[in-house]
Amino acid sequence: MTKMSKNSDTTQVSTTESSEELLNRRNFFRKAAVYSAGAVAASTVLAPTRANAQDDPNIMEEKPWATELGDPVTKNQYGQPSPYEHNVIRRTTDILSSGNMQASIAVTPIQDSCGIITPNGLFFNRCHGGTPTIDPNQHRLMIHGLVEKPIVLTMDEIKKYPNVSRVHFIECPANGGPEWRGPQFNSIQFAKGFMSCAEWTGVYIKDILRDLGLKKEALWMLAEGGDSSHMGRSLPVDKVLDDAMIVWGQNGEALRPEQGYPIRLLVPGWEGNLCVKWLARLEFAKEPFYAKEETAKYTALTKHDGKAIQHFYANEVNSVITSPCPEKPWKDLKKGEMVEIEGLAWSGMGTIKGVDISFDGGKNWVEASLKGLVLEKAWTRFSYMYKYEGKDILLSSRARDDAGHIQPTVKQERDTVGVESVYHRNGIHTWAVSAKGDVTNVQILS
Amino acid sequence: MYKSYLKKIVSSSVVASVVLLGTACNASNDNDKKVESTKVEAKKVETKKTETKSTTSNPSVGPAVADVSDTVKRTYANGKKVIDGGVTYPVVNGKTSSYYVNEKAHKLALNYGRPATPNEIKAWDIDVMPDGTGLPEGSGSVEDGDELYEEKCVSCHGDFGAGSGSYPKLTAGNAYEMQKTLVNQRLKPDDDGPKRTFGSYWPQASTLWWYIKTGMPHPAPMSLTNDEVYAITAYILSINEIKIDGVLVDDDYVLNREKFLKIKMPNRDGFIPKIDGPKGPDNVRAFYDDVSNYGNGTRCMKDCFDGEPKVQKIKLAISDFSPPLSNEKSLPATPKSAKAENPGKKVYEKKCSLCHGNDAMGAPVVGNKEAWAKVLKQDKETIYKNAINGKNGMPPKGGTTLSDDEIKQVVDYMIESSK
Repeated sequence: MTKMSKNSDTTQVSTTESSEELLNRRNFFRKAAVYSAGAVAASTVLAPTRANAQDDPNIMEEKPWATELGDPVTKNQYGQPSPYEHNVIRRTTDILSSGNMQASIAVTPIQDSCGIITPNGLFFNRCHGGTPTIDPNQHRLMIHGLVEKPIVLTMDEIKKYPNVSRVHFIECPANGGPEWRGPQFNSIQFAKGFMSCAEWTGVYIKDILRDLGLKKEALWMLAEGGDSSHMGRSLPVDKVLDDAMIVWGQNGEALRPEQGYPIRLLVPGWEGNLCVKWLARLEFAKEPFYAKEETAKYTALTKHDGKAIQHFYANEVNSVITSPCPEKPWKDLKKGEMVEIEGLAWSGMGTIKGVDISFDGGKNWVEASLKGLVLEKAWTRFSYMYKYEGKDILLSSRARDDAGHIQPTVKQERDTVGVESVYHRNGIHTWAVSAKGDVTNVQILS
Repeated sequence: MYKSYLKKIVSSSVVASVVLLGTACNASNDNDKKVESTKVEAKKVETKKTETKSTTSNPSVGPAVADVSDTVKRTYANGKKVIDGGVTYPVVNGKTSSYYVNEKAHKLALNYGRPATPNEIKAWDIDVMPDGTGLPEGSGSVEDGDELYEEKCVSCHGDFGAGSGSYPKLTAGNAYEMQKTLVNQRLKPDDDGPKRTFGSYWPQASTLWWYIKTGMPHPAPMSLTNDEVYAITAYILSINEIKIDGVLVDDDYVLNREKFLKIKMPNRDGFIPKIDGPKGPDNVRAFYDDVSNYGNGTRCMKDCFDGEPKVQKIKLAISDFSPPLSNEKSLPATPKSAKAENPGKKVYEKKCSLCHGNDAMGAPVVGNKEAWAKVLKQDKETIYKNAINGKNGMPPKGGTTLSDDEIKQVVDYMIESSK
C-alpha cells in the first residue's frame, strides 16, 4: 500500500511538469505483466514515471534487487564477500619471492581495512614451502627438551586447556623493507601491507608448561612447523613465559590454512616469522638453535663494522596514514571542506599512546585523536579532521607507545642502522598529496 | 669486538643528539615536557628517568621513560627487565590491561596429553645445533656433492651456486674475502653492496646441514640421506673456499662429522648481541634496553628542522603487482567456459611449476607457445622419456618421486597448456 501511494504521488507530480523526460517504469512491470494479472493492473495505474534531469536515476528507477527475490539462505553455506568487492584481495609481486610462489608473500590491502580487524581471507600470507593442507586428526604437537615430562598433544587435547582470546597484529619484519634506500612502491598495500590484525584464540604456553616441569637451565625454545619447510625459530624463554600462545582460533573461526591450520605459535608484537605456522614441535634448550631463518634472512645488517643484529624481536612502534593513500586519493573535495585523515598505528613493544600528524613533511606537528579500542600490540586507529586547502602537502604520521618509544624520522633511522638492514624499518612514513588530491609515496630526509 | 661496537653506537648517538640540539628540536628535557601533556604523567616520566639514568644514553625515549604503573611494568614477575625493550601487563584485580582474566584457570597444572616416547622424540628431533647436538655420523666427498648438486640443486641454485632467478645464491666467491664486504652500504645503485651468502654471512655451518637435511631440495624435502647431506654440504663449503682447521675444502676433500664440527665460519663474530651461553638472554635484554642500538625518535612539535623538507621521490617504481591494483567496485569478468580440470594440473602446480613456471631456470615455461613448439618437434614418447630420465638441467622426473604414469599426465597437461 505504501508503495502504491508513493508511486501515485510521483505520478501526480510528474503530470504537472510537461517538459520532463518520459521514463518507462522499467522492466519490473513488463516482467510482472507476464507473471500476475494483479501486477498488470498496477502497472496500468502507475507507469510511466517522469523524472527531473537533476534527479538521480538510481533513486527514480527501481532496481532488480529491490523488486526480485534474492538468493535463498542455502546459497552460501560459508558466506562470501559481495562480488563487487572482488578487487579487495591479497596481492604479490615477484621481487618479494625467493624463486617461486611457494616461498613468497601475498600482502594485505590495508587501504580497504576497516577498524582494527583483518578478515581472515585478507590476512597476509607468507610461507616458505607452500601452504599445506593438514589433517587435524593426524596432527600432533610435541613438547620436549629441557622439561621433566616431554609430552605429545592431539588437537583435541590442546583445546582442552583454558583458552584466551586476544587481539594482536602480526607483522612481517620486512614490512617496508624494500624501501630502506628510498620509496619504491606507489601503493600502501605494498609499502605497508605486510601485516594484519586479528583476534586470536588459544592457550598460553606457560599454562601448558606448568605441568611439564621446565628446567632451570632452559633459556631458549625452538618452535618448528610441520609443513614441508620445517621452518624453525629460536625464542628466549622470557617471552615464552610472558605472553606467547599456541592459537587455533582466528576472528571467531578456525585458523585458515594460510595462517597455520590447525595451530600456530603467536608471539604478540614480535616478528611474524617467529609466529611459526603449522606448529608441530617445541623444544627447550640451554643454547639458541641457529635456525635457517636466523642467518642471511631475518637478521639486520647495520652500518657499524658490518655487524648484524641477530635476534631482532619486537616490531617497533610504527604508523601509516591509510586515508588518503595512493590507492585511496582525495577526490571531489572542495576548498575549505573538512575531511577525515585516518590511519593505523601499532607497536610490538606496548600500547599506542598517541599519534602526531604533520602537513609539511615533519617540520611542524599536531596531535591526532586515537579512536576505537586501544589494545597493546594491536592495530590502533587514529583520526584527524583536516580543512582541505587544495594545495600540495606532505602528510606524515608519528606514533609513540607506553614503552617510551617514538617513531624515528627516516634520517634518524638511517643514521642509526644504515640502509642494509632489510628488516624492522619503522621510520616516519610520508605521503605527498597534490593540490588535486593525488597521493604518492615519498621519504623525507630532513 | 662487541664492546667496541657498543661504544661506537653510544658515541654516534651522542653526535645525533648534538645535531638535534643544534636545531630548534631539543632532544633532552625540553622534549620530555612536550611528550606528556598532563603534569601527573610528566612527573612519572621524571621519576623513571632518574631511576635509570646510568643505563641508557638517550633518556628522552625508550624503556627508560616507559609509562609504568601497577598494570604496566618494565619488569617481569622475576624482577628482570622485559627482554625486547617493551613493557608487560601483569594480571591485577582480575584484569590484564583491557582483558578480563579467569585467574583460577591460569593457576592449575593441567595434566593433558601423554608422555612422548623416546622413539617419537628421536623421529621428530631433527634440528642440528652448533655444538653438534643432532648432527649424525656420516661422510661425503666434494666430488660426490658436485654430482648430487648437478642432479638435485643446480636447477634452482645455478651453476656453482651462483643462483638463478630469485632463487638464493649459495656463494659469492671466497667467503673470507666476501665477508669483508659486509661493511658496505649500498647508498647508490652502482655501489658495491654487502654480499650476504652462506659463506660470507652465516655464523654457523650447522644451520646449513640442518637446512639441507630438512628443507632441501625444495620440492622434495627430507629425501636426502645423511651421507648425501654431508656430500652436498662439502660441495657448498668448497664453492665458498672455506678452510677447515687450516685445510681448504677442495675437490678431493671428504667431509665427516668430526671435521664438520671444526668449521669456524668467517662471520662467526659478526652478530650482535651475543646470544650464546648462560648470559645470552641477558645480553639481548641489555641490547634492547638501549634504544640507540636500533633507532628512536624524538617528539619535536615545532620547527623540527631548518629550511624546506628534503623530499626523496620514487626513482624506480616497482609496479608489476599481481593482480594489478584496482579500486573499482564492479562485477568480476565472467570466467571462460569452465573446462574439466586436467588431472596433471595439480601435480604440475605442486611439483613442476617451481622450474617451469618462469624462465629463470631456462626450462620451457608452461604457456609459452614458442618454447613448447620446439619441444613438440620431438615425438611424444621422446618427450615422456626425457621427462622421466631427465634432460639438460632437469633431473630425472624433475627431482620428484612421481610414477611414470603421473609424469606422463603432467607432461600432457603442460603440452595442453602451451598450445
